[in-house]
Amino acid sequence: MIRKTIKIVNKLGMHARPATMIVKAAVKYRSEFKIIKFDMEINGKSIMGVMTLAAEYGSELELVADGVDEEFLIKEIAEMFASKFGEE
Amino acid sequence: MKKIKGNSVSNGVAIGKAKIIKKHELYIEHKKIHKSEVKFELSRFNEDVTFVINELDKLIQDYTYSQENRDILESHKMILMDPEFKKKISKFIADDLYNLEHAISTYFTEAADIFSNLNNSYLSHRVSDFEDVAYRLLSHILDERKDILEDVTQNSILIMENITPSFVTKVFEKDIRGLCIERGSRNSHSSIIARSMNLPMLVNTLGLMGNIKDEEDLIIDGNNDYIIISPTKSVLEKYKAIYKREQNVRNGLLKLIDVEPITKDGKKIKLMSNIEIPQEIDQVLKYKSDGIGLFRTEFLFIDSEDLPTEEEQYEIYKKIAEKSAPNPLTIRTIDVGGDKLSNILNIAYEENPNLGCRGIRISLENIPIFKQQIKAILRANIHGNIKIMFPMISGVDELLKVKEIIEICSKELSKGGIPFNADMELGVMIEIPSAVITSDSIAEECDFLSIGTNDLIQYTLAVDRDNQSISDYYKPTHPSMIRSIKLTVDNAHKIGKKVAVCGEMASEKKYVKLLLALGVDELSVSPGRLLIIKKEIIDCNITEMKSKLDRILSCKTSKEVMKLI
Repeated sequence: MIRKTIKIVNKLGMHARPATMIVKAAVKYRSEFKIIKFDMEINGKSIMGVMTLAAEYGSELELVADGVDEEFLIKEIAEMFASKFGEE
Repeated sequence: MKKIKGNSVSNGVAIGKAKIIKKHELYIEHKKIHKSEVKFELSRFNEDVTFVINELDKLIQDYTYSQENRDILESHKMILMDPEFKKKISKFIADDLYNLEHAISTYFTEAADIFSNLNNSYLSHRVSDFEDVAYRLLSHILDERKDILEDVTQNSILIMENITPSFVTKVFEKDIRGLCIERGSRNSHSSIIARSMNLPMLVNTLGLMGNIKDEEDLIIDGNNDYIIISPTKSVLEKYKAIYKREQNVRNGLLKLIDVEPITKDGKKIKLMSNIEIPQEIDQVLKYKSDGIGLFRTEFLFIDSEDLPTEEEQYEIYKKIAEKSAPNPLTIRTIDVGGDKLSNILNIAYEENPNLGCRGIRISLENIPIFKQQIKAILRANIHGNIKIMFPMISGVDELLKVKEIIEICSKELSKGGIPFNADMELGVMIEIPSAVITSDSIAEECDFLSIGTNDLIQYTLAVDRDNQSISDYYKPTHPSMIRSIKLTVDNAHKIGKKVAVCGEMASEKKYVKLLLALGVDELSVSPGRLLIIKKEIIDCNITEMKSKLDRILSCKTSKEVMKLI
């Protein structure tokens, strides 16, 4: 299992488009994938879950992956956050 | 009797009984199921979700949707594929013993609640997505989406709040009398389709639904932009007579579908179609025109938030070229004013957009975008007979630049090993007076000319055609126009090049004979006008008209011209 803390650096926060991008990427992997915000834990492969995080600019999230391809999953998702989901 | 104003989309009268079509309320039954039914409910769930996902896939692949719409459909699909969704529904059914409809409506109601309480404006308006998905799924499950039109009789006039292009087509196929749409605009895709089918349709009829009941008598007067509810007997009789006259004319015209557009004295005129959106191709094929004389590509650019990619454009051009083949498809490169594109291009505010950065100027100022369009066209030309045409050319200078860019695009494509066909006729829109005056030079540098009369009148006479207060000055038969067309045709014919007219003048019955006498080789009109114009061509004797040409050319006023034609 891998954990990685990331910060939301895109201005608009986790709105529908980034959420869609994350889920689309995550479902390609076999590992389980969770995102944690404070005490809230959601399934990272669920569009409903990711959107209900409603994570805003500046907030911190913890990515948790567990499975055979966990490293690759975390790497891809973390890169998406870092690249601001192609915004700006 | 009551009159309600609207905007008519196509001419013509329709008489029928009102039929209000509402996005209907779904009746959801909430009940407990028996344990033995769980398996069955779950299998129903899987089947229904799969069905709706497939349906969404089909919509996503429909090339006529904008990228934005496809993104929305894509997110709807993800909502249905959500593993948590499946888990929750299974739990509702297996543990709580909800019936499927109850489980689904509970899930989506909860989801919508969560979202509207999120305190995040980006997300809270996604609530409508959940409502849309829930509606789509539940109405499939409840089998309510059995054709809404199934029990609509042909003598109905449908009253709806809004309408999609595909629904307009269905209404037309069912031969229903007409449509009144509470919202909408004359230039929406649905309206364009209705117009090309000559289907009576009025849009923007605010307050109609509150003023009408099912089965009430209704008249659409598309010629005068209003609807009459419960007409008196005498009014009804009057409209019945008009309707009958219009039907007779229409039936006469339909007999001309297989008749060639040849004048009385034996000259074959090419009669082509103007289209604005891909769906219109079906009408073009039905009325058997000689091809597409003007495919406006603006819809690709102004309806979306993002620019269309080369690939997206290629797919669209390819499909239309294939359908149109072996007849030509004439694609005009982007022709909008900067004002309409400001959301996707960086264009400064202009004092006078009509004399500003529009037409080919936009393309030459945004070369990467222009190159994408050219490449898409060059590639699509493998699949049909494409001609390319450029708008707002003021003289040879721009034309030479354009040719250079086509050259570069061809080179880049062959370097990349991407198949294309550069063997393509190249045309110039003649719509600026300077292009008329130098049409001899322009004709030498291209393969054909196409006169855009709307802009040519506007620029020659310095009249804004949308300005009602000066509409008297907008004169298609102004002597300057007659001479401009003559000069353009003569210059082109001298070196064996053809001239088309694709502006509104070609679509107006009264000008057809004049244009043919001036020597125009091709007329390109909207699909809904094809047969009307064909009849004018067939009835025309060019030799006879030509004998009057000297007199027409020496007329001093447009009034004198009108008397002679």
